[in-house]
Amino acid sequence: MRIFIAGFGTVGQGLAEVLDSREMFFKKRYGENVKIVGVMDSKTYVTDPEGLAPMDLVSRKAETKRVGSRTYTDALEVLDSVDYDILVEVSPTNYETGGQGLKNIVHALECGKDVITTNKGPLAIKFGDLIALARRNRCKLKFEGSVGGAMPIINLCHDNLVGEKIQSIRGILNGTCNYILSKMDSGQPFEQALKEAQQLGYAEADPTGDVGGYDSACKVVILANSVFGRNVTFSDVSITGITGITEEAIALAKSRNMVVRLIGEVTDTKLEVAPRLVPRGHPLAVTGTLNAAQILSDLAGPITITGRGAGRLETASAILSDLISVLDDRGE
Amino acid sequence: MNNIFPRASYDNIINVGQIFSRVKMIVNAELYVKDLPGQLVGSLEPISMVDGNIMGVVHDREQIVNHRISLNVTFEVEDATQLKRLEDIWKSRDVIISSIGSVYSTFSMEYLLIGRITASYVERLMDEASQAVTVDSVDIQYSSKNHHEKRTAMISVKVREEGDLERLDRFLGSACREGAITYVRGL
Repeated sequence: MRIFIAGFGTVGQGLAEVLDSREMFFKKRYGENVKIVGVMDSKTYVTDPEGLAPMDLVSRKAETKRVGSRTYTDALEVLDSVDYDILVEVSPTNYETGGQGLKNIVHALECGKDVITTNKGPLAIKFGDLIALARRNRCKLKFEGSVGGAMPIINLCHDNLVGEKIQSIRGILNGTCNYILSKMDSGQPFEQALKEAQQLGYAEADPTGDVGGYDSACKVVILANSVFGRNVTFSDVSITGITGITEEAIALAKSRNMVVRLIGEVTDTKLEVAPRLVPRGHPLAVTGTLNAAQILSDLAGPITITGRGAGRLETASAILSDLISVLDDRGE
Repeated sequence: MNNIFPRASYDNIINVGQIFSRVKMIVNAELYVKDLPGQLVGSLEPISMVDGNIMGVVHDREQIVNHRISLNVTFEVEDATQLKRLEDIWKSRDVIISSIGSVYSTFSMEYLLIGRITASYVERLMDEASQAVTVDSVDIQYSSKNHHEKRTAMISVKVREEGDLERLDRFLGSACREGAITYVRGL
């Protein structure tokens, strides 16, 4: 089984590490290893039809900041330069146009390749088109890692709860905002908590995507389309970020034994990201960078899951589950 | 001795348990307690023991049946389980429950309004809101102004119908958008 990794930042490198550590698992389960036959980052690429050593890729990236020695201008030409079975698309996301990630996914599906992605932008903007394209070409398009990192929300809804009518999903879908709001719980002002999140690498230099609620909104769109079968895009979501939350507001909430959390909510009719008051002790009153989601279904009632929403190995874990699912399907 | 008191029944108790808003039960009970010192307190104390909230008490010394005096109490409890616990405690204390009725549920919700707001603005807003929905009770608490001249109002509202919460949410959300106020509502 041959995979091509498009994007070799934190998540791509995490996946390489996981593939290296799971070599025996793949051999035992499928009788062969998963080979990385190509990798590209934003400027360079490397390919080898016989397979690349995952940890060598990680080391080279750490030492030279580049994954390959060859540069490129057309990512699609790079994808066409080697035969592969599955594209793992983990390049930086673009909420406005879908960016190169969208082009890579479309190209791979058009070429009949299965695609696994954590790239939220393309899914939030073109979900319906991508699913239709995948179906037309009889390809798999898997995206568990795009929502909630290691928290297996999409596959839980698709597999374990497949016979249920899911009525709503509400959750904390952005670990950065949750970190900032948790810090504000203990009295820190917003600006200070944000700066701390940036120093720890939880927030980008430009934190708008997180604190403005746009990252959560992308995930709300992905859940609405994939779990509720809706056909919505980013612009359909009512979005309020956390920049207007003051320490006085947090203190007032605390006096009533409540906390403020940025909650994404999806139902058959609602698509919303907004700060909400959550009672302390409620399953959604999690702290730190954790993500949590409460799924309400007609038979099982409320089911809550929580987990790390981002991170090198956490997101790679979600990709691994998608990879196994695709490989299992191919083996049937 | 025959029981001369009507049997209490939970038939008319509405308990809409769900996870979107906090629902409580408002209960009115007609009790008969022994006409002895300490009996009044002894019959009200169990309401606190089940985390209930006493809203009103009428102690009628004119209405005496079998050496017991009538006590009409209205209180709020979390759910039917707590009400059953309360009933058991009353029975263990020899308090006779004549009737439990006039029961209804309330739906409560909290809101934070953050921005350059004044108390008169928020109170006017809630006055307008109460014309659009039937509000059972409103409690407003304010923070002091911060260095950006912003302050926070925390509004706790109780309504009789869940649909009123949706109407109230639309009303407050729309008013806050117009006034550039950050609006935070409960789950």
